[in-house]
Amino acid sequence: MTDWLGLLAAPRTPRPELKGRVLARALAPRRRWPLAAAAVITLAVGGGGGAWWAYRTIGTLTTERDGLAARVHALEDTVSTFIHGPATRLIQIPVSTGGRVGSVTIFADSVRHRWLVRCDGLAPNARDQAYQLWFITDRGMATAAVMPMDQDKPMVMALEMPRGEGGEADQRVLGAAMSIEPRAGSASPSGPMVFHRLL
Amino acid sequence: MTSPKRLSQEHQRSLERRLKAGDERALGELFDLVAPWILGLAFRILQDEDEAEEVVGDVFVQVWRHIDQHDGGRGPLVPWILSIARNRSLDALRRRRRWWRKSAHLEQAQEAMGEAVAPAAPHEAAVPGWPMHREVHAALAALSEEQRRVVVLSYFEGLSHREIAQRLRQPLGTVKTRLRMAHQKLTEGLRHLKDWVE
Repeated sequence: MTDWLGLLAAPRTPRPELKGRVLARALAPRRRWPLAAAAVITLAVGGGGGAWWAYRTIGTLTTERDGLAARVHALEDTVSTFIHGPATRLIQIPVSTGGRVGSVTIFADSVRHRWLVRCDGLAPNARDQAYQLWFITDRGMATAAVMPMDQDKPMVMALEMPRGEGGEADQRVLGAAMSIEPRAGSASPSGPMVFHRLL
Repeated sequence: MTSPKRLSQEHQRSLERRLKAGDERALGELFDLVAPWILGLAFRILQDEDEAEEVVGDVFVQVWRHIDQHDGGRGPLVPWILSIARNRSLDALRRRRRWWRKSAHLEQAQEAMGEAVAPAAPHEAAVPGWPMHREVHAALAALSEEQRRVVVLSYFEGLSHREIAQRLRQPLGTVKTRLRMAHQKLTEGLRHLKDWVE
């Protein structure tokens, strides 16, 4: 009904040229090229931006991957040196923590004065405690590492053996020990001993 | 002056079929039939000859390209075209930054004469559709002044109910009631309109 209200307005006689103009406009072929051009430009800009972003991202990831690969390679070398070195001794120590059985494996390289230590099956520490690994030397116990263990998973670390002031290994390492200490570690063993082993 | 004659629904459907078939001559015939009304409606809303002619162009482009969207089963062709013209005109009106100045000018014009119900000049009776124009005017004239006013503000200025209430300083509920009753009366009064009268 309200559509008929358009007839309320007084009609106006169109100017003579209006009909030709209107029909020409209505009947003109649709000019789709502006839309097509806009679409192409949008795609080009969007595509270009996307390509640039992808290029930058790929470059960053490639650099990161190469860095990680280099680190892995270096670690493999280190591990390989430990494991396959002629001066490496393998010491495996069964341990019991929190009612579970685990092990500490030590690859001791006496030539390079380094240890590779792997801990398996250790019970996670209480929140205020940590495992502390000790070198047993001819001058007493020297701290090797403080290892807060909050998760139930293996831990691997490489350790430098204690050296004297001249850089020489003037402390003879006789063995290894592990105790449970306060979270920040102790100067000397004071908590429960996990293992104490002379090599 | 040409004597009015009736454009039957069959003729109108034929015109629509030809338009849908891409008959360019049919578009020319349609222009002769309805362009004065589209121009009049657009000018009534916009109060600007150039903009009104632009609306006429927009309407015919839309009709030619989208005639397939008109469902003949839902109503005749001419009201559909007039609704396109109204919407285009209101869009143009809203785009204008001179809205309020033009609106005030329009209001003054209405108040001066109540153009919505004013009789047209005699020579306009030769325009196709003139008898229909008079019937619509008669239906509007049958409304109360208050109802007529809200209908005109709603239709020709595209104002919302709230805007009409603000303009007339009337409660919103009153405006809604007046519009509802006006539409009921107009529906009754124009129920018989099915054919376009030439």
